[in-house]
Amino acid sequence: MARFVESTITFPYKRSLGPVVGAFMSALTERRILGIRNGDAVLVPPMEWDPATGAELAHEFVEVGPAGTVDSWTWVPVPSEQHPLDHAFAFAFIRMDGATTPLLHAVDCGSADTISNGARVAPRWKGTRVGRLDDIACFVLGEEPEIDGEDTGPSDEPVGRMDYVASITYRNPVPLATDRAVEASRENRLLGATCPVCGRTYSGGKGYCPIDAVEIGPEDEVDLPEIGTITNYSIVTPVQYPGQTETEPFVRAFVLLDGTDVILPYQPVIELPHDEVHVGQRVNAVWASPAEQLDDGGGMGGAYGNLLGWMPNGESSIDDLDLLNRIF
Amino acid sequence: MSDTSRTPVRPNSYDRTSDDIAVVGWAQTPMLRRTEKSETQLLMDVITDALEPLSLTRADIDFTCLGSCDYITGQAFSFVSNLDAIGAWPPKRDSHVEMDGAWALYEAWLRLQEGDIDIAVVTGSGRSSTGDPTLIYPMEMDPYFLAPLGADPLTFAALQARAVIAAGIADERSMAQVAVRSRGAGDVDALLTEDYLREPLRRHDVPPITDGAAAMVLVRGDRARELVDRPAYITGFDHRTECHNPSFRALDDSPSTRIAASAAGLGDAPVEVAELQAAFTHEELLLRSVLDLGDEVTVNASGGALKENPIMATGLVRIGRAADHIFGGGSRALAHSTSGPCLQQNLICILEARS
Repeated sequence: MARFVESTITFPYKRSLGPVVGAFMSALTERRILGIRNGDAVLVPPMEWDPATGAELAHEFVEVGPAGTVDSWTWVPVPSEQHPLDHAFAFAFIRMDGATTPLLHAVDCGSADTISNGARVAPRWKGTRVGRLDDIACFVLGEEPEIDGEDTGPSDEPVGRMDYVASITYRNPVPLATDRAVEASRENRLLGATCPVCGRTYSGGKGYCPIDAVEIGPEDEVDLPEIGTITNYSIVTPVQYPGQTETEPFVRAFVLLDGTDVILPYQPVIELPHDEVHVGQRVNAVWASPAEQLDDGGGMGGAYGNLLGWMPNGESSIDDLDLLNRIF
Repeated sequence: MSDTSRTPVRPNSYDRTSDDIAVVGWAQTPMLRRTEKSETQLLMDVITDALEPLSLTRADIDFTCLGSCDYITGQAFSFVSNLDAIGAWPPKRDSHVEMDGAWALYEAWLRLQEGDIDIAVVTGSGRSSTGDPTLIYPMEMDPYFLAPLGADPLTFAALQARAVIAAGIADERSMAQVAVRSRGAGDVDALLTEDYLREPLRRHDVPPITDGAAAMVLVRGDRARELVDRPAYITGFDHRTECHNPSFRALDDSPSTRIAASAAGLGDAPVEVAELQAAFTHEELLLRSVLDLGDEVTVNASGGALKENPIMATGLVRIGRAADHIFGGGSRALAHSTSGPCLQQNLICILEARS
């Protein structure tokens, strides 16, 4: 029975809006809704191009609304965390007065019995608006727009970018071979697996041979030497993107284990300053004390379990530039 | 293999060769609500299962194209680890589509028309059980006007179902009948008493969450006839897309399906079976209407996507099922795949036997 682990990934996007969507978003901060003229039609939401022909549209904006009519709708009894409202609501295609095409948005109307095709709705604006579609908190039944809380007014400058953040929790199985490698590391053993077809040996709990595309079971697992040579490395200068935890330059090294063809990629180094790391350096595995134990770890095939990384062992370096090519 | 089969053809001679590429076999994994296997493991199994009956090995494959989706897996570049399943040593010609495996097949079909290689394997794979579709799919929608609302697949399907019902193409009863026929279970009257999930959709109108993968072997020319007695020749293959935002589309129609079917030659001769990637009940009724499939055409005898919906493989399985019809003695079959909200993009593949 495989073990499942949950991991939450956040996707923080910053989007450029361009001349048409930007104008629409800027107008939202002024509590105005803009469409764009396309021949006799007025497109809401506005597009840069004719949806049918792809022809670029002149930037001829038309204010629509303030109210609109429900073209179609569905009822959302249990909202998701991404939905605009935290209680049951309708998603509706709303044709703003003066528009030819419908805008999808939420209608806060209590129950499914209160909404129907042809219903009249108006926006409920957020008091503080940043130039996103959800500056309209939702629509409400009737002709009159509303404002939630104190109106802090329009944006001082045209809105050129918008943030979008989604956070998704994934639940994935941990391969049994990975668990076996982590377990071995708890005993300070570096587990390898030898393909029963081609005889190549792999490390880090890879439970199959990628060349023969066969699974490798426990019967073909072996203990690997805990001593090796740095074949190549990179010094990573961390960029402070969201989620980055490193602040100082650090090393990721490739380690070729003695007497094998096994290369451990992306290994941390210990007691080895980044300006001293070099190709051919001899290193030993460093195992964690119980207090230092990592979880599964092993992102990008790096250290995992009790394996913390690799430390110079005092042996003379190997002078062989061909080592550079040994990264897999 | 004869030397002539390896003679490169000129790029402008697609028409001459395009009727000489055939599906010769395919396989699918068990379709499960949640598998313990990784996507790579699923692919290892299913590629082997597709090759072995043909006495082929991975070394015989000239080109691979894999269809999968990083957002579903929750891992950037997840398709790279999937390459472990194809035995990519010595290095192989390989490609990937962030689409259903049906589009991977389309790319392989184009690639084989270059005439210099004979055997391609395509896959579609996905573990939909990893996350909540309601949260994952909005990220693939229009980033300005749809994603910020969390606009989810059920909502779009419900809005299209309303349009299809309003156009008289479906009603809640005929939708429930599709569900009962597809799953081989349930009672229409009882189903219609259930609460709405998204009005007018009830739970039976909605696809299951399924983990699984499929692999298909596509072969050109004489090699196909050497491998099997009755290859399923692809005689028409086309896909078309519509505007990304359903606000600008007529949701009671599917012009992209109609154009793709016409380009693929659906009208040239009758088909006996049609496998439609209709994840929602009303989609089957709309597609039948747009494709003008009469009662004489057997639609989704497999149960279709309403029974098993391994996203990223569902469309490729439709083509596999249509190929099974040819392998089993049939003469002409249609397979359909779709992508995007409210049937945004549609693919039609016509498979035929050759006497």
